Amino acid sequence: MAHAVKFHPSLSLLEQYTEGTLAAELALVVAAHLDFCPHCQQLRHDIEADIGCQLAQQPAAKAVGDEWQQMMEQILAAETVQPEVSTPHAADAAAVSTYIDQGQHRIEIPRSLQRLAAKRKKWRQLGGIATAKLPSGDQNHLSLLLIEPNTEVPLHTHKGLEITLVLAGEMVDEMGKYAAGDLIINTPDHTHTPKNISNEPCLCLSVLTAPLEFKQGLIRLLNPLQRFFY
Amino acid sequence: MLDRCGLTGHHAVECFRQGSAMIDQQDPSPTVALGQWEEALYVIAVHRDKQIYAELFKYFAPRLRAFGIKMFGNEQQAMEMVQDTMLNVWQKAALFDASRGCASTWIFTIARNVRFDMLRKKQSRKDDISADDLWSDGDYPEQEGSHSQQWDLYLIAEKIAPHFHALPPAQRLVMEKVYLDELSHQEVSEQLSIPLGTVKSRIRLALDRLREAIDGPRS
Repeated sequence: MAHAVKFHPSLSLLEQYTEGTLAAELALVVAAHLDFCPHCQQLRHDIEADIGCQLAQQPAAKAVGDEWQQMMEQILAAETVQPEVSTPHAADAAAVSTYIDQGQHRIEIPRSLQRLAAKRKKWRQLGGIATAKLPSGDQNHLSLLLIEPNTEVPLHTHKGLEITLVLAGEMVDEMGKYAAGDLIINTPDHTHTPKNISNEPCLCLSVLTAPLEFKQGLIRLLNPLQRFFY
Repeated sequence: MLDRCGLTGHHAVECFRQGSAMIDQQDPSPTVALGQWEEALYVIAVHRDKQIYAELFKYFAPRLRAFGIKMFGNEQQAMEMVQDTMLNVWQKAALFDASRGCASTWIFTIARNVRFDMLRKKQSRKDDISADDLWSDGDYPEQEGSHSQQWDLYLIAEKIAPHFHALPPAQRLVMEKVYLDELSHQEVSEQLSIPLGTVKSRIRLALDRLREAIDGPRS
């Protein structure tokens, strides 16, 4: 059977992702995890259904005067566009890359990253490790990380949280072995030395959060090394 | 589409139950039968029926606004979101698929995506992450079917079974029907005569309980 994803986002993280209240970069990592994980997809649908019913139960807000009438007339008067059956990123199909090329490697990537991957910056290489930034805000840094076979990631420190999603290949650290779809959350006081001891390259998506956000209690929300069911 | 509405009749009934108390007080005489928003969307999509749309608008726009104010803490942005969302509902009603959830769920997801892209645009960050990247429509062709089921079964066999007996009886019953008998949530809801939402809630609660049994409490 297919590889079962072992390391999942916490339920509260999934909820905030589904509500749309999570920072965009973190939401992207969750979205990419969902591309691998049917279980979390199902949870997302459950949460959406829940919020949908909350919306239906919501007491209606009063509007001033004929505000609603005007709004509705504008909507009905707007030029009708023919709805298209949505295909992933139909609008800019050309600006999508379904795989990542780095050196001699060509690795497929999940759909949630395909549009952004086409906008990645140049690869920067250090030993057996290459990184390329993806477009992101000022607060959180989003990048791809490619670890060559038999390579150890040097011990590194940072003030924010480090969230890593394995996209392809596998790696190990003191806590366990991670494969495609696994989500790893590291806090600053959590030093670890990830290694790729396999014969295939390991591609990861990585987010570094700003220290500020961490101090504001992001940690409360992201259970470190959350592994529900296991 | 009509067939699908039939299949998800329970959905509609449930939304009806949950919404009805409030509607009675606030919308005295809607011409669309309450809880039939799924059907309303279908009629809007096929017949471009402005009258039906007006009913749907009258119900959802004020609720979306209240929802938006909670999300934005700002009335003007909330109104922008309502307008954009309701425009999408009118223009894209044909994309609504009742087999994937009730009308209010679909409308919520549109509002969420509209809001996300609105905020990004205000920060002039059109180039980066968009709602389209984050919330695909949920068509995951390869994974949704057999893999998911296999994975569920695997989980039960390997990890969960030992903790099953500790679940409260009501939750255990739902879990057995869903995971061991492989019934859909809908079928369980019909068999046990409980709302679909309750089936889902019990599953979530049971899963959380199982997770805690295995993993320890969430901090």
